[in-house]
Amino acid sequence: MAEGLGFVDPTAGGSAAVIQMAARPADLSGKVVGLLDNTKEQADIILQTVGDALCERFGVERLVIRRKEHYSKPATLEIINEMADQVDVAIAGLGG
Amino acid sequence: MNEQVDEFEFFLEKEWSDGFPVVTPTEERIARMLTGTARDHDDVIGPIPPAMEVATVRSVAVHALMAGCRPEYLPVVIAATELMLRDEFNVNGVQGTMHGVAPMMIVNGPYAADIGIHGGNGCMGPGFRANATVGRAIRLILMNLGAGIPGVSSMTIFGMPSRFTYCLAENMEDHPWESLSVSKGYSGDENVITMAMVESPRFCFDDVSNEPIRLMNGIADTMVAMGSWNMHTRSDMVVAMGPQHAAICANSGMSRADVHSRLCEIAGRKVRDLKNGGNWRRERALAFPIEVDPDNDDFFIPAIKNPEDLQLIVAGGWGPCTAVCHGWSGGSRAVHASYRA
Amino acid sequence: MCSVYDTVEFEKLGIPSTTIITSAFKKAADFQFRGKGMQGHPYVVLPHPVSNFQPAQMRELTLQYVDEVASHLKS
Repeated sequence: MAEGLGFVDPTAGGSAAVIQMAARPADLSGKVVGLLDNTKEQADIILQTVGDALCERFGVERLVIRRKEHYSKPATLEIINEMADQVDVAIAGLGG
Repeated sequence: MNEQVDEFEFFLEKEWSDGFPVVTPTEERIARMLTGTARDHDDVIGPIPPAMEVATVRSVAVHALMAGCRPEYLPVVIAATELMLRDEFNVNGVQGTMHGVAPMMIVNGPYAADIGIHGGNGCMGPGFRANATVGRAIRLILMNLGAGIPGVSSMTIFGMPSRFTYCLAENMEDHPWESLSVSKGYSGDENVITMAMVESPRFCFDDVSNEPIRLMNGIADTMVAMGSWNMHTRSDMVVAMGPQHAAICANSGMSRADVHSRLCEIAGRKVRDLKNGGNWRRERALAFPIEVDPDNDDFFIPAIKNPEDLQLIVAGGWGPCTAVCHGWSGGSRAVHASYRA
Repeated sequence: MCSVYDTVEFEKLGIPSTTIITSAFKKAADFQFRGKGMQGHPYVVLPHPVSNFQPAQMRELTLQYVDEVASHLKS
């Protein structure tokens, strides 16, 4: 009950616990980069372009590319865990 | 009541307001609304994405109250909230999508009639408290608990009028066939809700056809708009035949299944046409769950990729019209379940 | 918009992650990161729309953002 109002205010409030950012490596040289494609138009080209350029400019060693079932759904934990086992950093796209 | 707070302004200024006043939720009114269910008030229905605030029986009752529901509508609102949280319906996606589709509720079974969910003339428009408020309760839940709010987490380009409310029954009085729920295998006296993520309807008027083949040609044409997502992905569609159109088919000996089958068969376009406008992309066609040849201009692409996706109902008043409600691109599958009143 | 959720899941597993979005989804991205407890998490914003870009055009635009992507993944 909202105090003093005489009626109930059911407005929802955000109550998510704060998640700490993962520690970043000093550089990307020799690292494995995960690219998670959500199947939105252009996601594949964008991620491949970024991945290739990271290899060329920052010495990234390898790319791991996976595609989700559909852009409007989160990736399955199966895909996330599988990628997390192989990669050092990850890029998700294309948001929208 | 605090004299300094205008209760209507209080709620109209909320970010989650649908733009209309709500029934002020007092403890007394909430208690009265909760008489509409035998369930434990703290029972968890589920988190509403994307904000993931948890809906309980009590919080659903509060939203039903605000929407203007009577206590006897509450079992339907609770059942619909539970149903729409099924993974395959993808409420999470629809809350953020650029599209304007809304969860359309088709309520079958005796309880719908008991509480006045209307399926006859005007059933998709204003004038029927149960239709209006049950659908509105769902929308208020999506906006408040889920934060599906334009400008916040919803990227909907236009929204749609059906995002205010989208709930109806079939017109069982003038229905020549079995109901949607019976066609899905439920018994006629089971109370069932089917929900499909679809647009507001576009109409197929036809006061010329007096036999089903020509009639269904026109309905099929309405189903295959280039700018619809049904032509470019697997997507649900609701076709609500007015009873006059349904009678033309039934009187010539066609069953509901016959009509359903014919529409699935003929509603589609050739690749040559689809390339000329709208959302045609070759890679989209290759992602269909059916065999296609996107490089063959004469290849016929059906609007309905799986017969389960066409929700064929009979609704509306007497007149030469069928309503076609196109679907979404978000991978949603229509859901259905029986519920206890 | 679920690429944000994907990034959050990676971060929870200790994998530095960023999201690439287009500008039409900026408000939604901010909201979703906040809702997941990662308010202010860095992501990359491409201009909107890109859906109608030709592949070569898409690659050319993307290359302008690679340094920014890298900056979000390393210290």
